[in-house]
Amino acid sequence: VSVYVRLRVASEDYAMPVEHVLQVAPHGDVTAVPGSRPQMLGVRNMRGQILPVVDLALLLRVPRTAPPTRLLVAEAGSRQAGFAIDQVSEVGELADPTEETDSDLLVGAALVGGDLIGIIDVTRVFAALEQVPQ
Amino acid sequence: VTGIDTELTDIFRDEAAERLDQMETALLAVESGDAGAESVDSLFRNAHTIKGAAGMLGLDDVRALAHAVEDVLEGVRRTKAFPPEVAAPLLRATTMLRAQVAGEHQPIDELLHDLAASLSKLSDGAARAAGAGVPPARAPEAEPAAEPARVLAAEPAAEVQRTPEPAPGPAAERAAEPARVLAAEPAAEAQRTPQPAPVPAEPAAEPARVPAPESAAEPARVREPEPAAEPARVPAVEPAPEAQRAPEAAPHRSDGGKAPLGAPGPKTELRQLRVPAEKIDRLIDVVGEVMQYRGRLAHSLGGHARLPQDVADVLGSGEQMLDELKDTAIGMRTLPLSVITRRLPLAVRDLARAAGKDVEFAVTGADTEIDRVILESLYEPLAHMLRNAVIHGIESAAERERAGKPSRGRLEIRAMPRGSLVEIVVADDGRGVSPEVIERARDEGSLADVLAHPGYSTAAEVTDLAGRGVGLDAVRSYARSVGGNLEIRSEPGHGMEIILLLPLALALLEVLLFERGQAVYGVPMVVVEEIVEVAQTLRLEDRPALEVRGRPLPVADVAALVGAVAPPLSGRSPALVVSAAGRRAVAICDAVLGQEEVVVKPLSPLFGAIEGYLGTAVLGDGRIALLVEPTVLAPRSRRPAGLTSAPDPVPATATATATAPKVLVVEDSFTVRELQRSILEAAGYPVVTARDGREALGVLDRNPDIELVVTDLEMPELDGLGLTRAIRADPARSSLPVVIITSRASEDDQRRGIEAGADAYMSKQGFDQQALLATVERLIGR
Repeated sequence: VSVYVRLRVASEDYAMPVEHVLQVAPHGDVTAVPGSRPQMLGVRNMRGQILPVVDLALLLRVPRTAPPTRLLVAEAGSRQAGFAIDQVSEVGELADPTEETDSDLLVGAALVGGDLIGIIDVTRVFAALEQVPQ
Repeated sequence: VTGIDTELTDIFRDEAAERLDQMETALLAVESGDAGAESVDSLFRNAHTIKGAAGMLGLDDVRALAHAVEDVLEGVRRTKAFPPEVAAPLLRATTMLRAQVAGEHQPIDELLHDLAASLSKLSDGAARAAGAGVPPARAPEAEPAAEPARVLAAEPAAEVQRTPEPAPGPAAERAAEPARVLAAEPAAEAQRTPQPAPVPAEPAAEPARVPAPESAAEPARVREPEPAAEPARVPAVEPAPEAQRAPEAAPHRSDGGKAPLGAPGPKTELRQLRVPAEKIDRLIDVVGEVMQYRGRLAHSLGGHARLPQDVADVLGSGEQMLDELKDTAIGMRTLPLSVITRRLPLAVRDLARAAGKDVEFAVTGADTEIDRVILESLYEPLAHMLRNAVIHGIESAAERERAGKPSRGRLEIRAMPRGSLVEIVVADDGRGVSPEVIERARDEGSLADVLAHPGYSTAAEVTDLAGRGVGLDAVRSYARSVGGNLEIRSEPGHGMEIILLLPLALALLEVLLFERGQAVYGVPMVVVEEIVEVAQTLRLEDRPALEVRGRPLPVADVAALVGAVAPPLSGRSPALVVSAAGRRAVAICDAVLGQEEVVVKPLSPLFGAIEGYLGTAVLGDGRIALLVEPTVLAPRSRRPAGLTSAPDPVPATATATATAPKVLVVEDSFTVRELQRSILEAAGYPVVTARDGREALGVLDRNPDIELVVTDLEMPELDGLGLTRAIRADPARSSLPVVIITSRASEDDQRRGIEAGADAYMSKQGFDQQALLATVERLIGR
């Protein structure tokens, strides 16, 4: 049992280990970087620091109907990024993931009261973004 | 001792101290029985790099000692056993190394004997374990001991005659060591207390680091020499504890501890500080922000003329101080490469003499400024690559003559800025890699993948100077640790080029800011020739063009050039006349915002292999400017774009690099060849080279995608005319464009060149890179 930040990406529930989460902020103005892959929404000025913004819905292949409203700022190793999400539902303990998932960006999924919650592997997400060719 | 020597020695002392820390930590783990096989590799690598740098600095005792440590570690590797008792003499060696590095010259002979004894014990132990009657370690052991005598005539006798002897009192040594390492913690903490002026608003990511003020009073006591067995050899300033705890995991952090180390002795303790790089980064950020603030303030006040005299005076002196602050802050981070290369010619000469080689050495681009943190850690890898080139790359004079090369080998370091990177090339004209290696590279991806694979060595023999299988993999992991990379070019028999790509690091950059479709862009001010207003465009060769000062220049919409989506341009729009990579072009935008000095922040690695950006910058109003590389605004060849056409979703740079035709440069002079290569590469053409006509034909066979040949006339083996005729004689290549560039420029020569089938003939006299590019573009431009 570990502590996670539970978040909503479009219509789906996910969770991220709390030790990776730096803050949750309004989505704010994101400057697009032409030529980047569609998963990269652009860069945002976060108190003087320039933060890359990642489209988590696109990355996890969740269909999106409305623009994201929040940014979850996460960190792994020396990398930081803002993940575009819709809502943080709670911070709390979650049973270890018991269900396997297809996505290699997830550690697995936890079954909570009939809901399936995908546990995001932040390190893998960063690694995948860095490695994908243009 | 010159200033450079002092500076180099400081840098070396600093690096060695850090490596010795790592070694001691690892050795203590071995002694306590919880060390993995990995720690042997890291110990070995550390000893090896210390040895290499010491060799180049002429610190013979340090080098000999590090070599002996390597021998023992080699024995550990060979016997696949690391008995804890072997750690004790190694720890004594690191202690002695520390003292030697700090400039205390003590006799090392006894220690060398002890290390040799450990090695033979290791070998004997392995032999017994294997149940073999013959001591297996004899031959490999004799080799390293014998080599120095051959390679370096002035070798200390002790090293050659190392004889096995029991190590005296290892237990006592062992007992003393851990105590010192533990003491390093409070010392390091105390040392952190005197820091630069408080920095406001540390980023949230920074772990809270509250220096304990009371520990500041204690460093002197903590650093007092311990038991008599350990002479005063504790360096003045211990490295930051981060470096000890996670030396490999966080490159920026461990880099942070690389400011020069003070001279030993408590008196000079506060003269120099080790400051984490991120603090200096933050300082530069803040300076940039203050400069933006000054800009806004000046703007709101409406200029000095309208101000009361006293207010203007105060503002004026504030500006002066701010300029000085900016220069000082930047000066803390960048230095010209020459700081570390000035000593290299002598070192290479000594190295070449020791190896019995005749080597000519040159450094170009030594004024290239590099982030200090990178520069300080660059000496070792550079020294390592030079050693490899001299020892393994460049052949003996006799061998070179047999191969038809000048008897004198050539070794060169070239440095130049490359976009947001600095490229440092170490090139030699030696034997290069073997055809088998080329073969393997084809299977494994690249030469770098083969040669920089851990444990690979280009020379089978083990010498005192290099080639112990910890070569390029250490250099590559270094380059990657600072966010760069390593590439290798080589052809059998024709030398090797190792290309280090290192980040330019952050710096203040003077840019011109402009807007297009809500977004703000910036381009280095140095490439902007002028700003014009575009009312209407011409069409030239079916491309939009604009006449600027009597010359038609290609025109394009900034949005199309960068690949952004933007509403159509208005009727009269401002445009930048940009000159980059030998080309001029006009880029149209919505508005020019003006010139500004910005803090360049590289794009996050999460953007992957995106091209065309120098980085980003936060503006005074909080917006983010995208800083584009000049070549984006002046691409090599341009498809129709601009005022009326729809924005092109494909970034211009991607198109340019993906489709640029490959050019073969044939030239026997290294300098001319590389000059031509750099001109063509800067213009976006991939370039392959050959040193004479015969080689060129081979290169053509292997590279069917070559679309143009630039050749010299007078060359050994097969000259330019012969090459041109051979190309024309081959039906598959009869239409391959050939440009002859030569110092023979008479009409008669030119006629013969054209008769042989050359498409263009250019003179080396008054060589004009624009003319070369224009000719190439005319022949293969799209």
